[in-house]
Amino acid sequence: MNGLPNTLVGPAELETVRTFVEQRFPLYMSPTIDSIWKLYDEAKQGRWNPQRDVDWDALSAEDYDEDVRRAARRTYSRRAWNEATGLTETPALLIRFCMETGREIDPKFFLTVRNTEEVWNIECFDRVAEIFGGRIDRPANPAYEAVFNQHRHRRIIDYSQTLDAYVAVHAAFEDGLEYVLSEAWRSEAENPVIAGMFDHIVRAKKRHGTFGWLYLEHRAPEWSEEDRTRIADELVTYINDIVLAGLQCPWLSPETAGAEAEADAVTAEAGLGAASKEAETGVLVDFFADARSRFEGLGIALPRINSNRLGWL
Amino acid sequence: MEDGVITREQALEQIATLLDSPESRFPLNFNSKMPRIRELFHAATKNQWDPKVDIDWDKLDVSKYTQEQRDAARLYWSRRAWGEYGAISESPALQIRFADENRPSDMQMFFSIRSQEEARHAEVCHDLAEHLGGYIEKPISQLFQGSIASHGVRRAALAAEVPLEGIIAALVCTAEEIAFDVFHHLEDVTEDPVALQLVRLIMRDESRHCAFGWYFLEEICDDLTDEQKQMIQEAVVNMIEKVELNGYHSVWLAPDSEATRKEIETDEITHAAGLGATTEELEKPIFVKTIARIRERMAKLGIDMPKFTHPKVGEF
Repeated sequence: MNGLPNTLVGPAELETVRTFVEQRFPLYMSPTIDSIWKLYDEAKQGRWNPQRDVDWDALSAEDYDEDVRRAARRTYSRRAWNEATGLTETPALLIRFCMETGREIDPKFFLTVRNTEEVWNIECFDRVAEIFGGRIDRPANPAYEAVFNQHRHRRIIDYSQTLDAYVAVHAAFEDGLEYVLSEAWRSEAENPVIAGMFDHIVRAKKRHGTFGWLYLEHRAPEWSEEDRTRIADELVTYINDIVLAGLQCPWLSPETAGAEAEADAVTAEAGLGAASKEAETGVLVDFFADARSRFEGLGIALPRINSNRLGWL
Repeated sequence: MEDGVITREQALEQIATLLDSPESRFPLNFNSKMPRIRELFHAATKNQWDPKVDIDWDKLDVSKYTQEQRDAARLYWSRRAWGEYGAISESPALQIRFADENRPSDMQMFFSIRSQEEARHAEVCHDLAEHLGGYIEKPISQLFQGSIASHGVRRAALAAEVPLEGIIAALVCTAEEIAFDVFHHLEDVTEDPVALQLVRLIMRDESRHCAFGWYFLEEICDDLTDEQKQMIQEAVVNMIEKVELNGYHSVWLAPDSEATRKEIETDEITHAAGLGATTEELEKPIFVKTIARIRERMAKLGIDMPKFTHPKVGEF
């Protein structure tokens, strides 16, 4: 037993996925979802440059003792591991939107910008880890790796994964959660360089979360009861198997992510852009309540979820 | 199937891809192993632009063009938009390939912004077509769709048996190089200030796209086996013979048909109006020269390219 949920223990051999055959024409390229097109415009105009817009020279590891440096490099390495999901997830989403007949142009354009913004986040997190002693290239406990190795790009390309359910779970819920968490990390950051870096990152993360909800609002009128049930089921699986397994908050899974949880606590205490377990608990509880209510507005009943460490959510 | 309606009845295909192996992300490394490509990513980050605010749309005076010219130009720029759109899913497929093969992170980073640039190009071409009277959603004749629908890169990028080196040599060092030279030529023949501005901005991005391909091949060429060089050569030849000489970028190269003749006429009218297209007569020597340059650069990497023939070009 490695303590992992069954969905995270994948088979060694995988079946060949079935994908849609693209029918390119007619190719509609005029905006169809104004709210997402506006978000796309905002993303283009909100462009920034991590090399130029963060005062890296002012971030010095010398200002912190060895324990803090060790913790910060682990915290930011883990964040880079998480952001690295975007290197394959967002491209796969783009492909899926392009291949499935009738999908709108606005999400496609928006996702191209999201793709770059995720890389900028990786650059930032990686650079912070380097400044504090060097990136750590994998979790301390190999069992924690499964939370990152979700092979999402395969799922997205596979026709049997419905796109709306994927967007509900990973763009609306997950990106929304990552937005509120990064906002908390920003508000706890006392180091001005880290705070400045998060100012840029939080703005992008807000757009990413907003995109998911806007797309669901656009699609919801078309859903059947079966679609809604499926979305709710996928949300529950994701929350149980990924969120509560410590992807975003390692303290939720001390048995696999203990080293990362301890690092986050020290990083938070040092004001280097993390939040305490108590602060993150508040963020999670509020976010779950808000997300449940928003899903309810879309006709999706997200059931209460029990967690050993958070109680009933 | 209705146009533009999402349906679960769409045709499916099942092909073996890289996705058939489980993901194994760790150890994860973002060190720069191809610094010239990392530089390209940073240059692209610095040089972002936005079709909405960085094009002087107010300077586009459509009233000075005849209805025939406007109609031709809107079809021409719509066609350009279709071509750029293709890259919006082809570029991400390559990005996934880089990750799955654990290629240097520089490549993934650069392609993340390349996809965005392709979207920008599609957007700006669409917008110009709109200003000229309206974007057109499909070729006038279904017959022409075969020349421009897809060059198969997305599928190849995910297919394990197609070597990545061959895809990059074919797509980037060949197809994009041809497209870049055409854009370079368009800069000389486009008179409309807005169309010219658009051509220049696209060309600036495309120059980085081409550089990526050559930097990559130069980086790996010393380690290539003869068999790999042979595969690269086959991929390049296939791209030239099956895609380029079929009219993917240059409509006059497409097989003769009523549809092709109509598209050629469209380009000629657009060109005469100074709105951005070119003609067979002007483009032919450029195309031949581009192929010669690609052949020369490939030879330096130990990859020999044969002569090609086309009814309108002869042997070259």
